[in-house]
Amino acid sequence: MGKMKGAQIVGQVTARKDGVAKVTGQLPYASDINIPGMMYGVVLRSPYAHAEIVSIDTSEAEAMGAVCLTYEDINPILYNERSVSVPDATFRDRTVLPKKARHFGEPIAAVAAETEEEAYKAMKALKVEYKVLPAVFTAEEAMKPGAPQLYDKVYLGDKEVKIENNVAVIRNIEEGDVEEGFRQADLIVEETYKTQRTYHSQLETKGAVCKPEPDGGITIWATAQSIHANRQLIAQIYNIPLSKVNVKRTAIGGGFGGSIQVNTVTPICAGLALKARRPVKLISAREEDFYSHAKYPNIFHVKLGVTKDGIITAAHVKALVEIGAHHIQALAYLGCVSGWFASLYKYQSNIKFEGKAVYTNKVPACALQGYGNPDVNFAIESTIDIIAEKLNMDPIELRLKNYRGTGDEFWGQGPTIRSIIKSCGVEESLVKGRELFNWKERTKPSEKTGHIRRGIGVARGFHTSGTGGPKEGEVIDYSSDYIKINEDGSVDVVCPVVDHGGGTWDAITKIVADVLQVPLDMVEISPSDTRTTGYDVCTHATRGVFCGGGAAYFVAHKVKERLLEFAARIMLENPIDLDVMRDDELGQGVVYVKNFPEKRITIGKVAKTAQINSWGTIAYADSYRQKNCPPCFVAHFVEVEVNTKTGEISFPKVLIYGDCGTPVNPDLVEGQLIGAFNRGMGFAIYEDTLYEENEIGNLKCHGYMVDYKTPTSYEMPLAENIIVRLADTYEPTGPFGAKGMGEAAFSSVAAAISNAIYNAIGIRFTELPLTPEKVLKAIKEKGI
Amino acid sequence: MTKHEIEITVNGRKRRLTVKPNDLLLNVIREDLVLTGTKYGCGIGECAACTVLMEGKPVLACMILAVAAHGKNITTIEGLADGDKLVPVQQAFIDHGAIQCGFCTPGMVLTSHALLNENPDPSEEEIRDYLRGNYCRCTGYTAIVKAVQSCAKKNQ
Amino acid sequence: MHVNTRIMPVEFEYLEPKTKAEALEMLAKYDNVKVLAGGTDLIVKLKTGADIKVDYMMNVKEIEELNYIKLEDNLVKIGAVTPLSTIENNEIINKYLPILSEAIKAMAAIAVRNMGTIGGNLCNSSPAGDTIPPLTVYDAKLILAGKQGTKEVSVEEFITGPGKNILAQDEMLVEVVVPAPKENTGAAFIKKTRVKADISKINTAVLMERVEDKCVNCRIAMGSVAAKVVRILPAEEAVRGQKVDLNLCQKAAQIVSDEIKPIDDNRSTAEYRKEIARVIVEDAMKIAWQRSGGEKIND
Repeated sequence: MGKMKGAQIVGQVTARKDGVAKVTGQLPYASDINIPGMMYGVVLRSPYAHAEIVSIDTSEAEAMGAVCLTYEDINPILYNERSVSVPDATFRDRTVLPKKARHFGEPIAAVAAETEEEAYKAMKALKVEYKVLPAVFTAEEAMKPGAPQLYDKVYLGDKEVKIENNVAVIRNIEEGDVEEGFRQADLIVEETYKTQRTYHSQLETKGAVCKPEPDGGITIWATAQSIHANRQLIAQIYNIPLSKVNVKRTAIGGGFGGSIQVNTVTPICAGLALKARRPVKLISAREEDFYSHAKYPNIFHVKLGVTKDGIITAAHVKALVEIGAHHIQALAYLGCVSGWFASLYKYQSNIKFEGKAVYTNKVPACALQGYGNPDVNFAIESTIDIIAEKLNMDPIELRLKNYRGTGDEFWGQGPTIRSIIKSCGVEESLVKGRELFNWKERTKPSEKTGHIRRGIGVARGFHTSGTGGPKEGEVIDYSSDYIKINEDGSVDVVCPVVDHGGGTWDAITKIVADVLQVPLDMVEISPSDTRTTGYDVCTHATRGVFCGGGAAYFVAHKVKERLLEFAARIMLENPIDLDVMRDDELGQGVVYVKNFPEKRITIGKVAKTAQINSWGTIAYADSYRQKNCPPCFVAHFVEVEVNTKTGEISFPKVLIYGDCGTPVNPDLVEGQLIGAFNRGMGFAIYEDTLYEENEIGNLKCHGYMVDYKTPTSYEMPLAENIIVRLADTYEPTGPFGAKGMGEAAFSSVAAAISNAIYNAIGIRFTELPLTPEKVLKAIKEKGI
Repeated sequence: MTKHEIEITVNGRKRRLTVKPNDLLLNVIREDLVLTGTKYGCGIGECAACTVLMEGKPVLACMILAVAAHGKNITTIEGLADGDKLVPVQQAFIDHGAIQCGFCTPGMVLTSHALLNENPDPSEEEIRDYLRGNYCRCTGYTAIVKAVQSCAKKNQ
Repeated sequence: MHVNTRIMPVEFEYLEPKTKAEALEMLAKYDNVKVLAGGTDLIVKLKTGADIKVDYMMNVKEIEELNYIKLEDNLVKIGAVTPLSTIENNEIINKYLPILSEAIKAMAAIAVRNMGTIGGNLCNSSPAGDTIPPLTVYDAKLILAGKQGTKEVSVEEFITGPGKNILAQDEMLVEVVVPAPKENTGAAFIKKTRVKADISKINTAVLMERVEDKCVNCRIAMGSVAAKVVRILPAEEAVRGQKVDLNLCQKAAQIVSDEIKPIDDNRSTAEYRKEIARVIVEDAMKIAWQRSGGEKIND
């Protein structure tokens, strides 16, 4: 998409539009919606990991005045909460409320009452008879003959699928000739890596407010990354026409992938409201939220072949993924993980991926920022460092020899969504990064002494920008906008895109302001809902700016065409001879004659004239699909300090080199990169969710944040020691050269930290997180 | 449970309320006073999303019984600015990209404001330490620390 | 799972005495009174379903006569409802009981320290409670008041197990009394946590009294290694009367590590705690010794 003339707002640091509302506490999130006469919902959750529900007695709760919702109240259709993939690539295994609990904390029934306290009491008055079943907690155990079975059958699209040994799905992908590739190798390195089940820990817990409407419809405010996904699922479950289900877009208190699917509590809240015929608010307590979602844990077996001059000739990755009690997206996940691995290096196009996803009696796993990319990146980028050491080659040189860059193929969403890389900052980030970070001063682990050992490490990663490709694949991707010019020349943008806080809406307003050449304070994102907007799949896959902004760019150009037509009528010119430019003195956009700019008229005047003369509103609505999914790249240079007496790790310094094409909001891009570094620290050394592996099967932390620690302001490197640089690239298919950033920022943090730890103490860790307990144990074993 | 009449001053206004002994200040502020800028995050004093200032000091409303707040002076995020005029640290959060999803922002801003009142010239170390109990999953804290630092006297 | 931290699911009557005498009367009059002295532990316990019987919640934070820090007759006296954040910034405390201040500064978040009180922290009687090791090595006495009168107990006598202490139903803790340490006495507090604002994985306080190059009195308390904060007497014994050097610190630290019998829990492992006890006790002894005026001990 083309460049614009004049002072571009895209790329400038501007005050975020929701800033004042956020610092004054006035921006409503779903949990802040209060409707007169509303009831409060509370969910009864399973006290067992695996149990048949024999009966539920609601009589006592109902006698207390509560409205109760059980399996029997709801149309028992099977669905998948996630609707990003096309139906034929979507497994369906769940209902709103189950007949069988498959994990501790699974919703079993729900009540609504006048207050939250009363609802809680009523929930406690529900009597549920369970038949407790044996439970299983690891993928390896779940696949053994005789292991407890979570399902007999599920559905893939409309096809029935028999489940054996709890294997939810197998996905194998092979390209090139892997055997031949390994034959060409002088060195073959194999290693097994494990990544853990972290929890999103977004600050806003999942919730919804649902209001039944007199026409039989329902209005919903929900924690959501996609309002249309929520609308479609509620309409399907409760058999209401889409036109009567209206999901309002609200602010969301952090996404991180946990609300790509419709949150489990939302259909429950809708069910309560429809049954009660009154509005119901249902907000998860934190300890309930912990039992609602987590990241996929993985075991990767990596085998890479390399020539003695450092050309990787073949790669074979096996992935065993433990998905918990429901299949939210393991099929898509395995495809994506294969793509993240396949797109990191060229491997002479000899690639083999064998993925297997297995049900267990744990919380259903789902996407978490990066969608397996940080996990498989940890495996590959660790292996790359192992190879570099064995070849006695600089790890950066090895990366530069093998990375996929401009002109190479990129799998943006597994093997079915591929595009060609057109912009790439990998070389810049590695070459300039190593200068900035004094890479050449790096010493070997064997040269370190004392009990405080410093090491530096590097890793590189990327993520896709959206899930669009030249060909439609198994993932849906497009967005929609309605943009109109008001009668004073200001602009309303009506779009369904959810902003997690990363600045997607600011990006969209900047893009529209630059296309229409109006001042930024004359463009606003309208409050919107599913009734007033076309479809947008979801704010996921780092697609907000590239796809959401791309659609705004496209529609704004259509609006501009209409604007120029109306202006031409007024100015007695041909539209083709006209263009727009921002006039900062006037505080307006103007339409002018290209070769005679003295002849001009403000956009406001055009719009007002069109109104007075009854020509109509200058507006356009359409959908738009990006036919590319350009990778946004990142490189992390990390310095760690390992205390060999305590196993504690600190971070004196970090350099984060991002490549997002044109940075639409440069300050917010920096915020994305630093925020992801913090979460990467959490992934690398702090976070895990452990289970009591018995018939109860609860989390050891019980869902309390007191025992789920994430790095705070205090653990971060000092501000001056966090260096952020952006590569000078321009993505030709993105709005004003922009591509994404969000998830890429997280992709290689853990690998860089682990590589730095290796450099400090000479110990290669292959299982995250690297807690002081684990590190000290390894140090003792090595005898440092 | 015996209900209690309490009087609290919230954002400069005297409010008379009838509360149950086990009503939490957080829920009274959010539901009865409809000041929803104060957030529920963890319920057990671990995230500080529910921070309010009581007699000018940050406290966590999720662990306070409303009845025990009788007679106290409370500032919520809605009451920090003087009309349209933001306090310096509110403006600094906007100017330094210290806001992302915004859910931690009320607690973070109130805690930062209290720090600057206690210590008008905090070092980076002191800021990081004072904010260590305020949870933010989005920003990585650095922009927040920079925003607060920009309000320190030496940087004015 | 039958908890919900969005609400306070437990029901009770509320009492708010304004004087100590009124509080003691209420304690004598009502059954199942829980004393609310900040609430940062008690409210959380009630919200998360701890098995605590409470018919009456008595908020003592408004008893102004129990909110003070003073020095009298070489004794530091702290009223039980004095907020933790007041103590950490108090001049008397910083001068005489510096590691109490350090331990409090290392606790939780500022908002929690604004709410929590010294009495609350002691009566919570956590094996990981950060004020307990310093008060143990400073040989603090706790004044317990009942309608019948008051009694004085040591911290070690007071706490009997995790969350358990000797307070009778009609008694309350009213004051903490700490003898001002003698000249040439140094103390140190160290805790290890997952992140800065956290409950201790393990903590230690060490106090050393010096005469020339010898330690004539040593107290070592360890938290989060047993059902309550414990003193490690064999290690103290090994130090007493000895010339202090690196060797002695390491020897004492090893004894501590050997003596303790910690467990695995959410915060750490038994193995790590035993290992790290050695490190923090050695470090704490070095600091305490230097603070007592002894020569700096180098590795």
